[in-house]
Amino acid sequence: MGLYGALQASVSGMAAQSNKVSAISQNIANSNTTGYKEVEAQFADLVSSADQSSFNGAGVTTNYAYLNSVQGSFTTTGTTTNLAINGNGFFVVQNSSGAQFLTRDGDFTQDSSGNLTNDAGYTLMGYSLAAGAASGVANGSAGLVPVNVSSSALSKNPTTAGTLSVNLPSTATAVAAPAALPFANTAASAFTDKTSLVTYDNLGAPVTLDVYMTKTGTGTWELDVYNKADATNGGFPYTNGGTPDTPIASQTLTFDPTTGDLASAADNLNGGAATPTSAIPIAIPNGQTLNLNISGMTQLAAAYTTTTATVNGNPPSGVSSLSIGPDGTLSAVYSDGTEAPLFDIPIANVPSPDSLTPITGNVFQVNSESGNAVYGTPGKGGLGTLNSSSLEASTVDLATQLTDMISAQSGYEANSKVFQTGTTLLEDLVNIIK
Amino acid sequence: MSLATAANIAQSGLNAVTAQTAVLTRNVSNANNSTGASTKTANVTTTTGGGAQIISITRAQNLTLFENVLNATSSSATQTAISAGLDQLEQTVGATSDATDAQSPSTLLTSFTNALQSYESSPSDTSLAGSAVSAAQSLAQSLNSATTTVQGVREQADSDIAQSVSQINSLLQQFQTVNTQITNGTATGADVTDALDNRDAILKQLSQQIGVTTVSGSNNSMNIYTDSGVTLFQGTARTVTFDPTTAYTAGTTGNAVTVDGVPITGSSTTMGIQSGAIAGYVNLRDNIAVTYQNQLDSIAGALISATGETDQSGSGGAEQPGLFTTAGATSMPASTVGLAGAIEVNASVNPSQGGNALLLRDGGISDTANSNYTYNTTGDASYAGRIDQILTNLSAATTFSSSGGIGTSGTLSDYATNSLSWLQGQRSSVSAASTYQSTLLSQATTALSSSTGVNIDTQMSQMLNLENSYQASAKLISTINSMFTALMSTMGVTS
Repeated sequence: MGLYGALQASVSGMAAQSNKVSAISQNIANSNTTGYKEVEAQFADLVSSADQSSFNGAGVTTNYAYLNSVQGSFTTTGTTTNLAINGNGFFVVQNSSGAQFLTRDGDFTQDSSGNLTNDAGYTLMGYSLAAGAASGVANGSAGLVPVNVSSSALSKNPTTAGTLSVNLPSTATAVAAPAALPFANTAASAFTDKTSLVTYDNLGAPVTLDVYMTKTGTGTWELDVYNKADATNGGFPYTNGGTPDTPIASQTLTFDPTTGDLASAADNLNGGAATPTSAIPIAIPNGQTLNLNISGMTQLAAAYTTTTATVNGNPPSGVSSLSIGPDGTLSAVYSDGTEAPLFDIPIANVPSPDSLTPITGNVFQVNSESGNAVYGTPGKGGLGTLNSSSLEASTVDLATQLTDMISAQSGYEANSKVFQTGTTLLEDLVNIIK
Repeated sequence: MSLATAANIAQSGLNAVTAQTAVLTRNVSNANNSTGASTKTANVTTTTGGGAQIISITRAQNLTLFENVLNATSSSATQTAISAGLDQLEQTVGATSDATDAQSPSTLLTSFTNALQSYESSPSDTSLAGSAVSAAQSLAQSLNSATTTVQGVREQADSDIAQSVSQINSLLQQFQTVNTQITNGTATGADVTDALDNRDAILKQLSQQIGVTTVSGSNNSMNIYTDSGVTLFQGTARTVTFDPTTAYTAGTTGNAVTVDGVPITGSSTTMGIQSGAIAGYVNLRDNIAVTYQNQLDSIAGALISATGETDQSGSGGAEQPGLFTTAGATSMPASTVGLAGAIEVNASVNPSQGGNALLLRDGGISDTANSNYTYNTTGDASYAGRIDQILTNLSAATTFSSSGGIGTSGTLSDYATNSLSWLQGQRSSVSAASTYQSTLLSQATTALSSSTGVNIDTQMSQMLNLENSYQASAKLISTINSMFTALMSTMGVTS
């Protein structure tokens, strides 16, 4: 190896240390950047020829390693749409021109058009649940649309299911002639107990259902449902445009004499056909069929008591807030307290996350080395879970960076010393000729 | 783990302590809140990175004790409502404070009988006749004023019901707002503890008016039913309706209160409420006052029938009301309903109305122009036959209507005494029940308050703990800072 070779090697050493300092400066500059992944300068030696008698070193070369799979610590924020991934994977985002990237920067907030956009201007992508279950594919970005939370400004859900559990007093007196049963729907109709349920029709208008429970004999009761809107002075007869109503639902309930539990239900409107007690069909006027679960009804020697009375559905209401679950389901919480899922937010991962190409704005691009992105549900298949209202901090540790800087500085100094010595040797050589 | 992470964790510790202190401050400032603020607790959990985080704020609650308070409130309100009405009813028999019964029909009946007996011994004495008539008049007036009071109590109860109903409707509207706040807040994970306290306070106010039971649903939502099971609130507030009756006379029937289209008061309902002020008012209006009025009417009816005059000429004229009559009556009353309010002394025998008191001795009070009803046909000044007959009638066993609830046969004087003791019995039993219920209420409230209320001692000791942990976290931050400073000075950076 000649003197020039030594000079060359020391110059490459200085260049390498400069590269390291440049990586450190980038890290320190981003020590407070959300979702930033530390970059590390790694060195490899360069040898042009070497044998037993001679060595021809060509110096050192620098490789940058992006430590993209290192988990950052979490900081909590007050914004629901701020997300952090706990574990493997990246958010799928797109820029204004529609190109998709991966990022760990989950500082998403609603922009002027309702899209969830992070501080670097990238829009979060997700699967819309507007038409039911998401239709994403694991190995492609098909079906991904920008997560837009303004389109769900007003929503309603017609009632489809509910539960009514009451205890009917076994000690009650059965309704007998001349009083008529509620099924007859006449002014003389008498009942034992009554409750009512607020349900919602297709347009989200509240429909109050009057539910009459009438003892007809030992262990048998009649359950009749009428639309309260048709009531005459709040009671019988129920008429619509002068015509007496047929009950919306009418069931004969038979109770077990030993346990007091509901044994069976027979549909009076359908020739006494047996009905499953877990789903009594009630056709809500202008609405869906409410499958009312009454299997918890009992007939005991106790006063009439309601133990459960719930129905789903909600009136048209605006979104009051958003909530995002660890599995990536973004739900709108309506002002009446009901929740409706709007989007599934997937996370994507690649076989080699550290090989992703970094691009300005904390985003990464998939390349041939990283392998293709696989999309999945947070928390499943080795993917991380989503933390709502929190952000992933930069993985840069200031102390490590500063210590590395000291070693880079001394490395640079040593290289410059070698260069200086080489120069002195060359000068000595030149002086020999004089 | 880096120094920055350590600083981050120490910072999260500070934040957590700050939030806990804020909750503690809320507790302490509400320690004397009479609406029953519960103790709030900030629940701290470890975050993924190892820091501390307030995950939720919850409140101490005890559903069983709260239900006890609601039940006790309702029962106590019922007794208070009845008790207030009975106090007024008792004024019909005299001052309630010294328990005299000077104005009671029973006492005045005795005075009247005594006056008649004195007159019987000297039938020619006009002044004794005048005293007897005046005693009769006092008796009639006492029955009149008692009726006015009883009907006044019913009118008052009716208007109290109307007021209760409007309050229930307004409370249900408030409940709806708070309930929505709670379900919404619970769904989004917001702190709803104050709203829950607020809802409990509304429920307590509601239970004053009407007995309620509650059923919880998803997201902390709540349904309210009356203690008889009628829906008051489920999703939306149901309407409670009541059509007030402004003027009451004996025989007037008040309207029923309906909830969600179902009558909850009245004899025909199958879902009648048991407790709450409304139950008390209705009991007063429809039972107690009505029964007492029936007793008064029976007394008035017995007086009229004991002093009725029969045709003495043998021409078969119908019996006519004599000393005691009702305005313009020419025949004996067919029913006793309302007699106590209308009874008066016949003007023809009343000197203050230009009548002749001596007619008491002679008869013919009912129709002075018709001599057929004159008993003393000869004009004998010492004739005592008619007075004697009235006295006999008054002391004879007679039959009373069962609607008075105090027996159907006996002498008028016994009946009047029974009526008095019935009223006093009602009052003392209601007063005992009222004391009992209010003791129960205060015990239930104390139990709830010691179970869920704010205990200053606990809060203060917690404050010391928080202070210590804040100091520790702050010390950590300052240590981390000096470590950084050491590193920086190694690098030649001076700060």
